[in-house]
Formats: sequence, structure tokens, C-alpha cells
Amino acid sequence: MSPHGVDILLVEDNANDAELTLRALKQRNLANQVHVCRDGAEAMDFFSNGAGPVPKVVLLDLKLPKVDGLEVLRRLKGDARTKAIPIVVLTSSREEPDIERAYALGANSYIVKPVDFEAFARAVSDVGLYWLLLNHPPQ
Amino acid sequence: MRSIQRTFPLFVTALLLAVGIVQLTIGYGEVRQASRSVADRRLRFVDSVLVDLFRSSQQRGRITALAKDSAIVAFLRSGGQRGREQALAALRRITLDTATNARLELRDFSGRVLLSTGRFALGDSVLVSPGADSARFGPLIRRDTVLFFGVAAATPGTEQSSGGATEQAGGIVQQIGHLQLNERTRRSLTGLAGGDVAFLFGNAAGDPWTDFASIVPAPPANVRDSHTPTRYERGEAKRVIAMAVPGTPWMVATELPTRLIVAPAQAYLLNMAPIAALIVILGTLIAWWGSRRLTAPLVGVTRAAEAIASGDLAQRVPPGRDDELGRLAQSFNTMAEQVSRSHHHLEAQVAQRTKALEGTNAELESFSYSVSHDLRAPLRAIHGFARILLEDHHAKLDPEAQRLLGVIDQNTRRMGQLIDDLLAFSRLGRTDLTTGPVDMKELARLVADDVQRAESDRNGSLEIRIDPLPPARGDRGLLRQVISNLMLNAAKFTRGRPSARIEVGSHPNGDEVVYYVKDNGAGFDARYADKLFGVFQRLHSAEEFDGTGVGLAIVKRIVQRHGGRVWAEGAVNQGATFYFTLPGEER
Repeated sequence: MSPHGVDILLVEDNANDAELTLRALKQRNLANQVHVCRDGAEAMDFFSNGAGPVPKVVLLDLKLPKVDGLEVLRRLKGDARTKAIPIVVLTSSREEPDIERAYALGANSYIVKPVDFEAFARAVSDVGLYWLLLNHPPQ
Repeated sequence: MRSIQRTFPLFVTALLLAVGIVQLTIGYGEVRQASRSVADRRLRFVDSVLVDLFRSSQQRGRITALAKDSAIVAFLRSGGQRGREQALAALRRITLDTATNARLELRDFSGRVLLSTGRFALGDSVLVSPGADSARFGPLIRRDTVLFFGVAAATPGTEQSSGGATEQAGGIVQQIGHLQLNERTRRSLTGLAGGDVAFLFGNAAGDPWTDFASIVPAPPANVRDSHTPTRYERGEAKRVIAMAVPGTPWMVATELPTRLIVAPAQAYLLNMAPIAALIVILGTLIAWWGSRRLTAPLVGVTRAAEAIASGDLAQRVPPGRDDELGRLAQSFNTMAEQVSRSHHHLEAQVAQRTKALEGTNAELESFSYSVSHDLRAPLRAIHGFARILLEDHHAKLDPEAQRLLGVIDQNTRRMGQLIDDLLAFSRLGRTDLTTGPVDMKELARLVADDVQRAESDRNGSLEIRIDPLPPARGDRGLLRQVISNLMLNAAKFTRGRPSARIEVGSHPNGDEVVYYVKDNGAGFDARYADKLFGVFQRLHSAEEFDGTGVGLAIVKRIVQRHGGRVWAEGAVNQGATFYFTLPGEER
């Protein structure tokens, strides 16, 4: 929760998953500027004060309390100020309807969380590396 | 299509035709028989008239009388020496009142002519052996175009003795007559018997014969001998009856052209045939009208039944008759009403059940979603934190603790795999097929490349042979999964072999195509072949071969959703062959 800058916004209600994600990012030294939201409402609040920091990527779970992940996705991609922010859906669901709807709403990636921790850690760190270091967002 | 409306009038027509033909045939036969017997009676009657005419000829009596005339007897007894004038006068008396231009001869017994009058000297012969008591007729004799006949009688026998020798005293009286042959004679005779009859006259023994106008050939022997009605040809077909003239060598025959006898029968046919035809036509029309009247309501019911059978349940038959057909229409409508009602009831039930099923399906969907999401999260936590424990606190753990953490690690991985496979399997029942033509050979080659890549680190060689495969129709992605599961299976169970071989092939079987994947791997006990395709059914332990036991269940479900079948053959350590069928591509 750094006021100065947020590289990654992690929207994840499961504390275990959040911890494992953070650990995976930390192993690649990507965890310095990660902000964690525990539900969809919190995530919407993060963006609602307008002047807040703009993350380089949002890691978004779909099954969230209060405001559903797909709803968060729809609102962020529907808002001109936030629609350029890359959003990576990071979820346990590999159901086809979820995947289709996520991409239809403008998700930039859709990652199914592997059960296997090594695979999970690799996926999370790859995603972090790609969006933080390789991707060039519009300025 | 057979139809009573058409067959009944046809049947009636056929019946009337048959009756008409039989009636005409019998009538024709009877009329012909009747006219034949009339003709026969007529021929016989005319025959007998003619016979009487010839038999009762006056000439015979006259010659008999002449042979007894005293002047002639005296002349002949004197051997022609005495009483010539008186004899001549006696002859002349007769000659004068005979109409036939005959000749009268007086001869002695040796045949010498002693005296003669009239024309027609035919020579010296006695034409007839004379009768002693009455004159006899001789056979007809022809000279050119004239027919003659003789009548002769001998004088009463008297014996004279002269010088010891007995000699016959007396002589023969012979008349030679000729027949008037001309058209007039013939016509006048014909007129007697009525127009169309022809008379023939001649010797019973044969030629010459005449029809009273000219000389004609004698009728054949069978006609002359039979004395019964006979058919023969003379110019045209004739019916003839011959009759001998008693006391003479002559015969008469009367004939009638067959055509005249048949004529009444033909006239009968000519008159009756149009009447019969009229009856047949009338009968046909009545039968057609009647059958239409009778079957029209049936046609209505039939049409309505066919309409209902093809789905138009609102179809009804117009009522309006109060006979059996009307009642049929009524009960048909009642039945249609019931069918329609129960059909709607059924539809409502189906809709209700479908709705219930959709609800259940939606529940299942959300259930599997929950499984997918909620079961995996804790599992990931167990696995993740066990790994962290191993990595971060390695030094503080003794070897046994490390081993136990390894067990946790292994089992959580396995549980994750099980959940993934189970989800994939349940998804198969719900997703729709996207069907299209599928190049099975290309698909098999792609999968083979994948398998070779995945098996690149195995011990021993792996050869995959793909025969030409006919194209199929189905969901390309799902069919790829079928081939993939089967080939991966084959690769897995050949892992211990130094030279593993997988063979993919096919053969046609009626409307379907049988594809198979064959390996020379561990095989299986054929007794458990039916368990291979069940979910979580495994024939090998996890230590021998890994896997969750869902792969073949997925294969079975995909193939079944394509309308095909799966089965397997194999034996322990002798390889296995997995078969699946797909409907042919033409469908």
C-alpha cells in the first residue's frame, strides 16, 4: 500500500491465494508496489477517487464478495479513464462461459490458477514480468 | 395405391362383360343350332319331294303298260314279222302324249331294234336290263351336254316250241328320255323349294350329275353315301343331304350355303352385341356412381386420418349423414378429439419436464462451477504452503517430515488432476457439438506429433504408423481429443517396451467406419474389457501407470455423442486395440 505508486493491483478475496501470489511475485522482485483489494467494492473504491495512482496491471479474481469480478471488469473497461489499464483475469474457473464473457468485456488475459504451486508461481511471475517489464502501455 | 372407389366399378364392369360374353356365346350357339336343324328339315323335305317326283314317274307305268299292249306283244312275238302297223300305232299313241322328246324302241331279246320312233338314236345297246313285271330305270348317261336315261320293260314271258328248241318269244320295250337342262328348269325347281336351295341330281354311283341347268361334278362319295347332313365345298361351304331314289340307280341331293344357315345367328349377334354393350356401360356408370357415393365419406375419413397422422391434429370429418358412414365420421371425430387432447396434455408435460430438466441442468452447471472454483482454491493453498514449508523451513525439518510433506505434495497434485479431468468429463455432456467434415488422417498425424514430442525422453523407440483414414463428420476438437486420449494411452502402456509400436487404421462396416488404435503394450485382462470405459475405472495400479481413469470415459462419451460405439480387445502383455465407430462421411 504505497501512496507513491502502484505497479500491480491484486483483487483477491482468498487470503491464501493472495499470499501465494505475493510470494510468487516477491521471488522475482515484483512485489514492492502491489496493492491488494479483498473484494470488488474495494477495487472500485481504489479507482473512484480519480487522482489515485494508476497501476500497470490489474490481477483480477472473478469470484469476489460484494461486487463480482466480471462486474469490476465491465466497469473498468467501460470507463474512459481506466479502460487502457491492462486487466488479467486470474481465476480458478476454467468454464468456457467465464472465459468468453471476460474477453468480451475487454480482459487482456485470462489465466487459470494451477493447483500445482510451482506452476502457479511460474504463471503469476510470468504475468508480472510481462505486463510490468515487457508491455508498453500508452502514455 | 389401391382404391375401392376404382376397383369396385372395375369389378362390376368385368362381371357384366363376362355375363354378356357368356350370354352372347350361348345365344349365338343356340340360334345357329336351331337354324341348322330348320335347314336340315327343309333339305330333307325337299329331298323327299324330289324322290317322290322321280319315283312316281309316269314313264315307268306307261312303259310297263306298253310292254303288255296286245299289238306290241303280238308284233314282238312274231319277231317283227306281223302287226307292224298296229304296233307303230300303239307306240305313236304314247309318243304323242309324252312331253319328253323321247324315243321308243321295240327290240327282240338279242337287242336288235325292230321298230322305233322319235329322236335320240343312241346305238344298239339295251340301256337297261328290262324288268319282267314292270319297267326299270337305267343310270343316267351323258352325251356332251345332254343327260339321257333309259326305261325298259320286257313283254310277258311266253314260251314257244319250234322244232324241239325252246325259245323265248317276245321282246323289249325301251324308252330313251333326256333331261331338260336349262336355267328355267333349275329356277322353277328352286322356286318350288324356296330361293336359296340348290338341287342336284345324278347317279348314286357317281357321274354324271346335274343341277338341272348344266352338268356338274358329282358330289364326293362321303356325301353320296352318308344320307345325313354333311358339309362340303362347292364354290362355297354348303350343307347337303343326299337321298337315293328307291327303285332307280339315281340320287337326289339338296344343298344350302352354310352362310345362309349361320346368317340368323350372325344377325342375332349383330342385334344383341350393342344391347349387351349398352348394359355393360350402364352397369359401369351405375357402379361408379354407387361406389363414389359409398366411398366419398370414407375418402373424407381417410384424408382426415392421414392429415392427423402427419401432425395436423385439428383435422375433422364433416358430419351430416345418419347411416353407418355418418356414425363412422362421428366416432372418428371423437377419437381425433381425444388424440388431440392427450397430445396437448403430453406436450404440456414435456414442456414441464423440460423446464424441470433445464433447472436441474442449471443447478448442475453452478455445482460444477463451484467445484471448479472452490475445490481448487483450498487444494492450491495446501500444496502452496506445503511447498513453502519445504523451501523456507527446509533446515528445520528432519528427513521424515520432508518425506511426509512430499506425500502431501504428490496427493494434492493428483487431486488437482482428478478435479480437472472430472470437470472436463462433465463439460462434455453439456457443450454442443460443432460438426463439420474432419480429415481424420491429418488429425491423427497432428496427434502423433504431439505424442512423439511428449514421449521424447522415453527409453526405447516409439514407432507410430498411420494408415489412410477416411474423413469423418463431427466436432474436430472433440475427435482430436478421442485420438489423442487413445494414442497417449497407447504410448503410456508401451512405455516399458524397448521398441513400442502404435498403429492407427480403419475399415468400413456398412454405413459406419471403424477406426482403431492398436499398440503392443501391456494390454489388459479381457475379462475386464467392459470396465475400461467407466469413469475412474483403472485396470492398473498408479505405481505401474499413472492416470486418473477418466481418459477412456471421455473417449466413450465423445464417440457416443457422435452416434458411434467404442470397444476394446486385448490380452495381458499382448497389446491392446481400441475401436471406435463414426457414421460415414456421406451422411
